[in-house]
Parts: sequence; structure tokens; C-alpha cells
Amino acid sequence: MRMLMVGLDNSGKTTIVLKINGEDTSVISPTLGFNIKTITYQKYTLNIWDVGGQKTIRSYWRNYFEQTDGLVWVVDSSDLRRLDDCKMELDNLLKEERLSGASLLILENKQDIKGAPNPEEIAKVLNLEAMDKTRHWQIVGCSAYTGEGLLEGFDWLVQDVASRIYVLD
Amino acid sequence: MENEEEVLATSNEPLDPNLHKKHISMIERLSNRHQIRLDNSLARQSESDSSSSSTATAPTTASFLSRFSDSKRSIDSQLAQSRLTDPAQLRSHLDSISASISDLEKLVAESSYFLPSYEVRSSLKTISDLKQTLENLNSELIPKKKFSFKNKASKQDRDRSVSDSKQTAPGNADSFSVSLEKLSFQVRDSPGLRNKNGETLVKNFKGSEIGEFTVSDLDSCEVRLIGSVRALFVHRLKNCRVYAGPVTGSILIEGAEDCVFVMASHQIRIHNAKGTDFYLRVRSRPIIEDSTGVRFAPYCLSYEGIEEDLREASLDEETGNWGNVDDFKWLRAVQSPNWAVLPENERVGMVQISNSGDGIEGN
Repeated sequence: MRMLMVGLDNSGKTTIVLKINGEDTSVISPTLGFNIKTITYQKYTLNIWDVGGQKTIRSYWRNYFEQTDGLVWVVDSSDLRRLDDCKMELDNLLKEERLSGASLLILENKQDIKGAPNPEEIAKVLNLEAMDKTRHWQIVGCSAYTGEGLLEGFDWLVQDVASRIYVLD
Repeated sequence: MENEEEVLATSNEPLDPNLHKKHISMIERLSNRHQIRLDNSLARQSESDSSSSSTATAPTTASFLSRFSDSKRSIDSQLAQSRLTDPAQLRSHLDSISASISDLEKLVAESSYFLPSYEVRSSLKTISDLKQTLENLNSELIPKKKFSFKNKASKQDRDRSVSDSKQTAPGNADSFSVSLEKLSFQVRDSPGLRNKNGETLVKNFKGSEIGEFTVSDLDSCEVRLIGSVRALFVHRLKNCRVYAGPVTGSILIEGAEDCVFVMASHQIRIHNAKGTDFYLRVRSRPIIEDSTGVRFAPYCLSYEGIEEDLREASLDEETGNWGNVDDFKWLRAVQSPNWAVLPENERVGMVQISNSGDGIEGN
């Protein structure tokens, strides 16, 4: 299964991928370009594409859209000021035809930081209820720091992609 | 994908025979999908490689490299021709180069799953160099648009389109205002120092429950942050000095002019900084984006108990990363003109800050 991880810079995409894979997360530089990780998750092999989120390289995201089964949108819950940017970039992404079939997992990261709004509040700001009704999506609060919520999120994503493939063929 | 069956075979999970059958058929579909993808990319490959049968059998680095360098050569020669192109044709000529560069970029993305990471990096760098050359040509050869009249027209267009979209999609317009309302409400709630001019602001995090902290819209202030926080956001500072204890997560700076920052963190991102000095200790590589005239030096802060704070934040060791700056606006091997190492004779000495004194406690 091919998973694409995107989101604003500083949201924790690389940390999430390394954490899921059980790797050291103590020294991670902002991603200049992208990382690809192949991991075995449950019975599936996931190809996770972790693409840098800095403004300059967001225009490169579209190069990775093709054949994406699962889309992971990562949000820095503590970055209130840029939630509007975050909403705008997500809206743009969801207009993309090549991603229209992909299941969408929204990870509200950094829930461990005191004062961060909870996933429901963020869902409201991002206006997720207004999304295209055919989209399969799920929002999960998580912390790449403690690992909380990550497995719950990816369990859903992998199951959803798997069940869609059942129906599809 | 190929080892899925293997994984399944070694799985000890007891399976209902029905489920098991279903599962196997799904795995088959998954591997079929994967095979189709491979075949597709092979087909693409062999289309262009039809002359050499040996490389058509598998996606190889060599065949990628030859395609890549062929395209690069042709783009290079198109770029060189730009200066000789009839001005009337110039714009379309440059557009077609831009399209070729995008195609090349796409080729790298499609091939990246089998390429060694070095090749991916170096080809992405080549692409960004090509883009830069094209951009330079663009600004050099195409005269700047005359703004006076067009600008007004486009503004009207924009206004019209905004009101149009309001009429046609009231749902969207509503959601936007809802989100803004919501945002301003939340921003008020989050702890920070904001909207000050010419003050000394002190905040001590020791024993506090604060996780993320915001410093924003300050002019000519000195900010002292003692103790450690998880996340620090800095936004729109002018002519300020900011001294901060360790941040165990990340620092995000957006908009700073003529400032001095002394800070320690696991990650630091700097956007839109101008004429600003950073004295940093950082576990990963600091990055700058849309910044000019920024200079870097090692961390030099001291307050009572800082050693312990740094140790607890795993920031007690100097990593030397303060000088390993990545400039996202300068993706090439030569040194970026946007930042420099601060010469030793221009650095401030050790900065000693304390809790007491004329400081104003933040909220």
C-alpha cells in the first residue's frame, strides 16, 4: 500500500514515521526533499512517502500524488496561528483528482503539549464535516512524542484501504 | 509488497477459513495492483529505451540516469537558445522549458522508489538548478509588466471573484469566518507575550504547566525566557533581543527584523528573517526560508540553573549544528548568500540573565 504523508512544516511527519517504525526520534532535521520508508504493518507492506512541508517545497507535493492509497495529513495542534494555512493547504490537496480515491487520515499531532486544542475543536476549524461525502476519512489525536494514537490512526487507514480494495476489484 | 505472502505465511493468527480465503484473495489483488504499477513503469521505460533491449527488462538506475541526462541536455540547450529567441516567441519558449523541467521532476518522482537516495538527491538538485536558471532568464529577458493599469483591473477582478464566490458558495464563506472567529478566540487563550513596545519582558517557566509559548508582535523589546518549554512560536519581531532557555520540541520563527536570538532547541525553523543574528544550540540542522542577512553563532546564555535545564532537555552538549544551516531557498552545493557564520570578533560574549530586576512578568 502506498501512503503519502503531508502537512505543514513543523507538524511532525518524519517523527511519526520513525516512531511507528520504532526508530530513534531524538535527532530529526527538517526534511529537505522527502523520505521513503517501507515498513511491514500488520500483514501489509506500507510504502510511506514522507514529503517535506516547508513552504518552498510544497509545490513538489503533486509529484507524489500518483497511485496513493492512503493520505495522511498531519497537523501541529499547538500551532494555532497557522491553522488557517493548514486548512487552505488541505483544501487544495483534496481538490486534487489524483487523490480523490485515497483514504484520508488526519493526525492531530502534539496532543501531549499542554494547552493544545483537542481533535474535535481542530476538526471544527478545518471544517472537515464539509468534505466531499464520498471521501473515507478519520481524525485521530496523537503524539509522535509519546506514540499515543499513532497505531490507532494507522490501523484505521490500513483497514480502510484494504476494504476499499475488496470492493474495488 | 513482494513479501506480503511471506508475512502472511509466518503469521500465527488463527483465521476463520472463510476469512482466510477472503484475505488471500485480497493479498492477491494487492500484489496484482503492485504488479500493474511495475508493469506500467516498465512500459514507460521501454518506450523510451526501445533501442537498447537490455535496459528495457527492469527499471535500473543506469537507464534512469541516461534518460535523465538526455532530458537535462536538451533543457540546457533550450535554455541556451533563449537569448537568441525572437522576443515574440520568448514567453512560449520559456513556458515549454518549464514544462520540460516539470516532466523531468515527474520522472524523478516516479523512479525514486528504485533509485539510490544519492541519485534522488542529486537529480533533485539538478532540477532545482535548472529552475533557478530558468527563473533568472525569465526575470532577465522578459520585461517587467507595467503595473499602473493592470493592477487596478486585477484587483477589481479579484474583488468580483470574491463576491462571486460568496454568492455561489455561501457555505465556504461562512466556514471561513467561523474559522477566523474560532482562531482569534483560541489565540487569546494561548500563553505568550504579545504587542509590546520598548519593554523588558521576563517569563519563568519553572514549575509552570505551560507547554507551548508564543512571542509575537514586539518592537524594541528584550525577552528573557527562563526554564524550559515544549514548543516556542516567534512571530513578527522588530529590533528585539530574545534570550531563551531550552525548548524540548521545536522553535518556529516567522518574521524577524534586526533582532538577536539566543536559543537552544531540538529543532529550529526560521522564516522571513532579515538582518538578524542567531546564537543557537540545536540537535538537528537549523533551517531558513525566505530569509536574508541572517548570521549564526553558538549558544551563549547563562542563568541560575541553566546547566540542569539543558541537561534535562538533552541539550547539554554542543553539537556544532548551529553552523549546519539548510536554506530552503538555496538548494545547491555552494554556500547560500542568505546566511553566514557570525565572525568571532562580532559576537556578543556570554549573556547573563536573571529572573529579578526590571522585568515584567508575562501572562
